[in-house]
Amino acid sequence: MAAQMAATKVPEVRDITRIERIGAHSHIRGLGLDDALEPRQVSQGMVGQLASRRAAGLILEMIKDGHIAGRAVLIAGQPGTGKTAIAMGIAQSLGTDTPFTALAGSEIFSLEMSKTEALSQAFRKAIGVRIKEETEIIEGEVVEIQIDRPATGTGAKVGKLTLKTTEMETIYDLGSKMIESLSKERVQAGDVITIDKATGKITKLGRSFTRARDYDAMGAQTQFVQCPEGELQKRKEVVHTVSLHEIDVINSRTQGFLALFSGDTGEIKSEVREQINAKVSEWREEGKAEIIPGVLFIDEVHMLDMECFSFLNRALESDLSPVLIMATNRGITRIRGTNYQSPHGIPIDMLDRLLIIATSPYTEKETRQILKIRCEEEDVELSEEAHTVLTRIGLETSLRYAIQLISTAGLVCRKRRGTEVQVEDIKRVYSLFLDESRSSQYMKEYQDSFLFNETQGAQMDTSQ
Amino acid sequence: MDDTSQQILKYLTEVEEAAEDVLADKHQIVDLDVKRNMNREALSALRNEGETSSEKVKVCFGNMFIKLPKKTTREMIQKDQEQLEKEISDIRKRLKAKVNHLNELQGKPELTGYSLSPLSKDEMKAIKQMLMR
Repeated sequence: MAAQMAATKVPEVRDITRIERIGAHSHIRGLGLDDALEPRQVSQGMVGQLASRRAAGLILEMIKDGHIAGRAVLIAGQPGTGKTAIAMGIAQSLGTDTPFTALAGSEIFSLEMSKTEALSQAFRKAIGVRIKEETEIIEGEVVEIQIDRPATGTGAKVGKLTLKTTEMETIYDLGSKMIESLSKERVQAGDVITIDKATGKITKLGRSFTRARDYDAMGAQTQFVQCPEGELQKRKEVVHTVSLHEIDVINSRTQGFLALFSGDTGEIKSEVREQINAKVSEWREEGKAEIIPGVLFIDEVHMLDMECFSFLNRALESDLSPVLIMATNRGITRIRGTNYQSPHGIPIDMLDRLLIIATSPYTEKETRQILKIRCEEEDVELSEEAHTVLTRIGLETSLRYAIQLISTAGLVCRKRRGTEVQVEDIKRVYSLFLDESRSSQYMKEYQDSFLFNETQGAQMDTSQ
Repeated sequence: MDDTSQQILKYLTEVEEAAEDVLADKHQIVDLDVKRNMNREALSALRNEGETSSEKVKVCFGNMFIKLPKKTTREMIQKDQEQLEKEISDIRKRLKAKVNHLNELQGKPELTGYSLSPLSKDEMKAIKQMLMR
């Protein structure tokens, strides 16, 4: 009985951890465009918003070709119309090589760092530098190690190491240093190793497949690799991509490991930044480095204040500048830190620099599609009627609320051991969890019984 | 044969030729490396023999052995070794252009950072420090 219970419990635990890992935009794989940059109605997790997606696709192509650096894009639209989804789509289709830094507008306000410092760090995180490392290595499978120890017990050891690839085999003489590092790495016959020619560092790659039999009794952690091909002495080229910020950090660590432990680098001196800029442009002239202008995404950009905007204005003009993508859900509102009204809470001079992409509310059909995609993502089976009901809820309240009902309804359904979420499950969670409008309705009705209800007249200021 | 198939055939021949070129170069590198390693073995054998044995060693040329003084032999092999090193690095340089050409013919994108020149050892050391974090 106990064993049975344990057996049934295990999958439940797994399911819970899985739900935790699903983010709100985890279903987005790209912008869902075809080769001609025409948006498909439903693709890569994106639904509808055809015009905005096409615009984003255009910008994406220009970013990929490196045509636009130092430009700024604003994605504007009502809440829940897929602004962050489009930004995520851009990030996903840029690939791993182009740096993408995401930041929420409120993140830059910190006591430890000035606003402009936080912004310039974000800017420099979004610029990648591609560099190449070239090393000469000897790579081969160990055929035999022979170590001669002097009979007296003291004195230098000498030995021989036989290495082979699929094409050739050779014998190396070993000095005492080499023997020491070989025994430290526990290299045996049958291992595939690389030796760095410059430093003499030995790395074990794994055991050769041809010797798999000899190691039959080994644990599962033994890794088997193919015997290397070609020449023994190879030239290995590795391309690294680092961000300018990372180079800054390593160079500003004059205080040593203090910065290493606190995890926070604090402010970086502008002299350090200038030095790095000079070094990087020197590398670029020598053909040693490529600059990859990445993307800096600032969500909720209306949270930035006047100083930040003027900083952004100037930062966009520097020659090492990424593409700036901003998103906001505000209409005409006060610019933070001033008493002036402006569209999207962004000063007019800044707005003038922006390419603006607008998102529009989803239609019924699109809402239905998005809910379907989210159901697949969260592994919840939805019956046809429940889907219709959920779509209605999504249209009448908000898409976010409807999406939140999916996993909760899924849990209710599992509780009653159903396989498919029915209308009853939706109804149940709908009664359990209030949406925004019902909650405010409730507030209005029972306001008197809440605490601090006398602050009725003073409206909460949300623009600040 | 009509025009299009004629064209396709021409294109395919071109790709095959480029690929063959790359493979031939790769093979040559292997052959040269074999020679280089053999020379290296010979050099260490000469070194290990010590001063006790005779002044002359037997060297194999083609299908006969010739007795040569140690010093001359060593110098000869070292010269050969330098020549080999140079040849290998030349081929590697050429190979790069050829692989690029092949990729271009096949319509594949150029490898990222392929044409970069490598950082010097000191610079790499500083970067390594950062990457190891």
